Amino acid sequence: MDSRQIRMTAPCSLRHRALAVRLVAEACRLARGERAGDDLAPGYDVRDPFDVAVVSAFAEIYNNVALHACAGLTDPTIELRIVVDADGVVVELLDPGRVFDPSTVASPDLDALPEGGMGLHIARAMLDSVDYEPGPPNLWRLAKRRASLDQAALTTRPV
Amino acid sequence: MPIDFARTDTGDQTTLRIAGSLDVLTASTVGQAIDKIVEERRTRVTVDLSGLDLIDSSGVAALVALYKRVRAMGGQVTVTGARDQPLAIFKLLRMDKVFNL
Repeated sequence: MDSRQIRMTAPCSLRHRALAVRLVAEACRLARGERAGDDLAPGYDVRDPFDVAVVSAFAEIYNNVALHACAGLTDPTIELRIVVDADGVVVELLDPGRVFDPSTVASPDLDALPEGGMGLHIARAMLDSVDYEPGPPNLWRLAKRRASLDQAALTTRPV
Repeated sequence: MPIDFARTDTGDQTTLRIAGSLDVLTASTVGQAIDKIVEERRTRVTVDLSGLDLIDSSGVAALVALYKRVRAMGGQVTVTGARDQPLAIFKLLRMDKVFNL
């Protein structure tokens, strides 16, 4: 399999959020380049539906880790591992923070126009899988395959 | 990615232009502008998102708060220009219908 692994270690803070999000966005772009066989263009954008899904989901999980799991820790560090290939992306986020139980998070009542509790819902809805293994370190594994996006487009295409 | 926003008042119409990234880091800045709009009882508010590249759930929450607070005063909020990632998030959360996107 033609895959590429990317790793980054960084302080677990909102200050470093953009760095992590940008890395994930660039990894998605790399995957798109591999698939299309195009040269990678400079710049940074999140317009491709695949990139939109992965970046949106990752940003929500990162927020939760930085705001909740690692809150109160002294100089916590996260590790980010990204595996990219022509079929999709797997993002692993490891944090040293408090253990979280995703099964306790209910889906938001969207009809009530919620002002919170939407992050995990966004991640789950955007990706093929969102897995969590308690640590230490805790591990979030986020996966998205291009085929699922292509399939969604086929099923929603008007006849 | 920083946020860039500007408020313009024309008569009883207020337009809030938000560009860049509306997220966990920047939502509080917009929140202050929203507080001011509500404080001044502005009841016709348009939020122009044509320059918005990224939004997260914190950013969505800020816009929902604006919508609810202005509506509670008997006013109306119109959202225009959402595209790409922000539009995908609004659709996922079914807020495209609420905001008439």
